Amino acid sequence: MDATPAIRVVDLRKSFGTLEVLKGVSFDVDRGSVVSMIGASGSGKSTLLRCINFLETPSGGEVYIDGEPMGFRTDATGQRRLQPLSEINRMRRDLGMVFQQFNLWPHMTVLGNVIEAPMRVRGMNRKRAAALGEECLARVHLSEKAREYPARLSGGQQQRVAIARALAMQPKAMLFDEPTSSLDPELTDEVLAVMRELAGDGTTMIVVTHEMGFARDASDRVLFLHNGLIEEEGPPEQVFGAPRSERCRQFLSKHLQ
Amino acid sequence: MSNWERLVWNQRGVLLQGLAVTVEVCLIAFAVAIVGGLTLCLIRMHVRPLRPVAIVLIEFFRATPIFVQLMWVTYVWPELFGWPNSFFTAGWLALGLQSSGYLAETFRAGIEGIARGHREAGYALGMPPLLVFRRIVMPQTLLTVAPSIVNQFTVIVKSSTLISVITVQDLMFQAMKLVNVWYEPIEILTVTAALYILFVFLVSTAGKLLADRLRRRYGLAAA
Ligand SMILES: Nc1ncnc2c1ncn2[C@@H]1O[C@H](COP(=O)(O)OP(=O)(O)O)[C@@H](O)[C@H]1O
Ligand SMILES: [Mg+2]
Repeated sequence: MDATPAIRVVDLRKSFGTLEVLKGVSFDVDRGSVVSMIGASGSGKSTLLRCINFLETPSGGEVYIDGEPMGFRTDATGQRRLQPLSEINRMRRDLGMVFQQFNLWPHMTVLGNVIEAPMRVRGMNRKRAAALGEECLARVHLSEKAREYPARLSGGQQQRVAIARALAMQPKAMLFDEPTSSLDPELTDEVLAVMRELAGDGTTMIVVTHEMGFARDASDRVLFLHNGLIEEEGPPEQVFGAPRSERCRQFLSKHLQ
Repeated sequence: MSNWERLVWNQRGVLLQGLAVTVEVCLIAFAVAIVGGLTLCLIRMHVRPLRPVAIVLIEFFRATPIFVQLMWVTYVWPELFGWPNSFFTAGWLALGLQSSGYLAETFRAGIEGIARGHREAGYALGMPPLLVFRRIVMPQTLLTVAPSIVNQFTVIVKSSTLISVITVQDLMFQAMKLVNVWYEPIEILTVTAALYILFVFLVSTAGKLLADRLRRRYGLAAA
């Protein structure tokens, strides 16, 4: 089996002006595995995800998707050069992103949201895209809402549509940025259930979350981010059962009841 | 024979001809305002080197009284640029330019009001910026600014009465011509006012109905 990780992050750094948010983060996400990222608000979790798909341009370090460097190329003289947007866009297709705020497009139907990128970015015809879209909606159990507009759905349903929209690009990995944080508690379960199913189907995922239950029993590895560095990393049994870092222990004692 | 029949009904051909010119001028001016406003807005937001030019033009169009602008386009432009070469063209151009200044700001507010996340969702799927703008930003912007756009059209209709001064034969021009022939202003000007009201009312009602219908379809709250 090919052991190239689906996502490899090497010494990733990001500053906003003088504020150093990521201070050299490295980790691998193996194919078909789920990595949960936990950490206090402001520790740089969103920034890290956004640097992986270049919604933010990293200040340093590298990201590899299936072994291919994302965003930068090193030329013959060893100079790092930012790639043209078209190249970044080509690689972004392989990374599905799910945002805290869903970010569905309100003027398109549910199916319209899902098939927009397959049609206009991948160039699929409407019929094929619709078939694919229906398939993705079935995976999030929302086939019956295909013709609705997003505003008529509950938050949990909207987030599941957002997941379907990302899946429709048939990405190599999915990035979730606190997908349940803006949902009422009674709506988080339906979203987490869908994510567990995806994980069970072998979807490669990075999940930023405050849902410790999910991190503990749905992920293969857990990263604890603190002040722009990975402070603790390991399988969930270790991170939750016997954290080495004092800060991680404090964080967990606050978030685990 | 009543005044109404003599002054209005029997002159209806002339008045309707004037109305047709008014409608034509307003529609052309409206198109100029939308294209010009969107262009100015996009230059201001996205074309760094030309930004100051766009800002100056927008402020100039907005701050100049429409009458001054009309005179300026009619008498100064031909000297400077050799165009426009007819009063009709000068009329719609001045009206369109002034409204383009207002619409540029309307569009900007609308575009800035679209949540950044909506655009980022597109970028994250690999959509290039122009596609995101065309498919995601613009439709939502049009939806939110529709009431202001309709309102701007009614401003154009009302301001358009001024072009009679440069002898464009619009409704106002024809009405005043009749008044000056018969010296009987009451009926003629009342009917003229009614025609303008009707025009403005029809346009704003149609615009509002359309916008409300779209909002309802999308399940969005009415503005
Ligand atoms: N675009 C930005 N410009 C300036 N500062 C930012 C920007 N995005 C994030 N930050 C700052 O970076 C830090 C980390 O933010 P973020 O990655 O959102 O943390 P988290 O997702 O873990 O809560 C915060 O201090 C935040 O204010
Ligand atoms: Mg965050």
